[in-house]
Amino acid sequence: MVEEILEFLILGFVLGGIYALFAVGITLIFGVLDIINVAHGEFFALGGYALYIAMVVLGLPPAVGLVLSTAAVFCFGLLVYPLLIAPLKKRLGRRAPGPLFLVLTLGLSALMQNSMLAVAGGEYLKVPPAMTGGIDLEFTYVSNQRVLIVVVAGLTLLALFLFLRFHRQGMAIRAVAQNPAAAQSVGIPLGRVFTLTLGLGCALAGLGGGLIAPLFSVYPAVGFTLTIKAFAITILGGLGNLLGAFVASIIVAIVEALSVLVIPSEWQNAIAFGTMILVLLVRPSGLFGKKQP
Amino acid sequence: MTKTMRVALIGVPAVAGLALPLVWSHPFVLHIAIQALIWALFAASWDLLSGYTGQISFGHAGFFSIGAYTAAILTKTLALSSWIGMPAAFVLCGAVGLGVGFPALRLRGHYLALVTLGFGEIVLLVATNWESLTGGAFGMHDFGTFTGLSGDPLHQRQISYAIVAGITLTGLAVLLWITRRTEAGPAFRAIREDQVLAAALGINTTYYKLLAFTLSAAFAGLSGALYAYYIQLVSPSIGASSQSALVIGMAVFGGIGTIWGPFLGAILLFGITEALRFVGVVYNLIAVGAVMVVFVIFVPRGLAGLRLRRRGRVQRADRRAAESAASSG
Repeated sequence: MVEEILEFLILGFVLGGIYALFAVGITLIFGVLDIINVAHGEFFALGGYALYIAMVVLGLPPAVGLVLSTAAVFCFGLLVYPLLIAPLKKRLGRRAPGPLFLVLTLGLSALMQNSMLAVAGGEYLKVPPAMTGGIDLEFTYVSNQRVLIVVVAGLTLLALFLFLRFHRQGMAIRAVAQNPAAAQSVGIPLGRVFTLTLGLGCALAGLGGGLIAPLFSVYPAVGFTLTIKAFAITILGGLGNLLGAFVASIIVAIVEALSVLVIPSEWQNAIAFGTMILVLLVRPSGLFGKKQP
Repeated sequence: MTKTMRVALIGVPAVAGLALPLVWSHPFVLHIAIQALIWALFAASWDLLSGYTGQISFGHAGFFSIGAYTAAILTKTLALSSWIGMPAAFVLCGAVGLGVGFPALRLRGHYLALVTLGFGEIVLLVATNWESLTGGAFGMHDFGTFTGLSGDPLHQRQISYAIVAGITLTGLAVLLWITRRTEAGPAFRAIREDQVLAAALGINTTYYKLLAFTLSAAFAGLSGALYAYYIQLVSPSIGASSQSALVIGMAVFGGIGTIWGPFLGAILLFGITEALRFVGVVYNLIAVGAVMVVFVIFVPRGLAGLRLRRRGRVQRADRRAAESAASSG
């Protein structure tokens, strides 16, 4: 029993790393732009496809492939603000946006998902693992790819936190998240910060998509179910709260993994949504969220 | 333009359009027309809650799905007539809408949208996993169409069209009546524009929000029941979040917040996407995504807004004419 629990705990940590990459990106974008990126999962899928192109089609080594695919998704993410969000913001002016940004990113999600379907087809593409072999822990076997996921996700998120804390651009992002008008008045170019934030958030998703590709295969809708779950996670962590999203990701992933011992696995996905709805009933602003205005 | 002229200008093409599938009774035309009308009622129901009252639902397909399954289960396992199945779906979904509305009362904007998305996913999971009731991933079939239909397939389809048109148009009329002719309409709009101000003006926002949830869910469920009886197959995928996205796309296309805009938008967009099926199955969904993106940015009021903007231009022209007349006179 103890060994089983340990085994699922390890599984939970691996999954938690992916959830964290994904959810931190969503919550970062929300914190800075006040927009929920419904198309986040499509950037995740895009990361998987980019890695497939780099490793299988071009035959590049895994490390180079992962860096290139993440960079490619970053570049795609950079386009979102100037091409889609800025025009809508400009048209709206001072009027309340209501659901328009949600509808916009939802449309982007449908557009990207089905474009990938049209270009790549619906097959499940296999990507070779970046690392083979594994660690034998006597009671269970952990493949190196899983270890790699945890390590890369952990280091990336650490780098992101350091970047936001100490780098000039990172500080600018935090300033805009706190108060856009005040940030603008001290000379921070809002448009550039918004563009960079979307690029960074999407790149995190793209990296997650590339890391998990050898385990999950790549297909157009690979990210969408994850998007919905990541919304639940970000709500638990409090929308806009990076550390909250990270902690909530690990908790949800571990609870999900352990739940297999108690409830049938086909209900696993209900845990995140169920917890989200329960938490919102008790605390409408999430576990670690600030009070809603 | 006088009122009679306007009624004639809108009414004559509408009646002609509705009668067309009965005159040009090709089975395919009828098939498309019936489904377009079902989507139209579904889109109008979404608009009542999300466009008109401003309570964004991202899981409306959940209500549609519950309505469809209610109809299928009642007719298949209890052998009840469709004329009981449809009102039952209407009432049950209204109750579910009320149940979802209660927790949602405390939530606004993003949080509400995400909770309704979670609701839709839970409906999907239940439909997939409660095999003894819903038939699991394969869904349910063989429960028959609208009770009382017989004869050759074409005739059956024509009658189905008449039934669906009758019910969806009645639904549209009821929704329009509620929003335009009862005190609920202004209350809904006030909640959408400023909830706190609405409450300060003495509007019982709790009551009206729950009313919007209940009515919207009930009509979404009714459209689901119509779908079940016409298609005669329900599976979990009808409650997928992509279906919710599609209905929102239709509403945006038609113009949210007008009720009739989404109704019309759904018919047009469904027609367009079905036509695109001849190009390729994927392209119709790409088109839906593109329509959502382009319309939100460039035509945020949808097709209905084009008419409203025109009226604004006419008004401005009238005012200018009046001003110049006043200055010259």
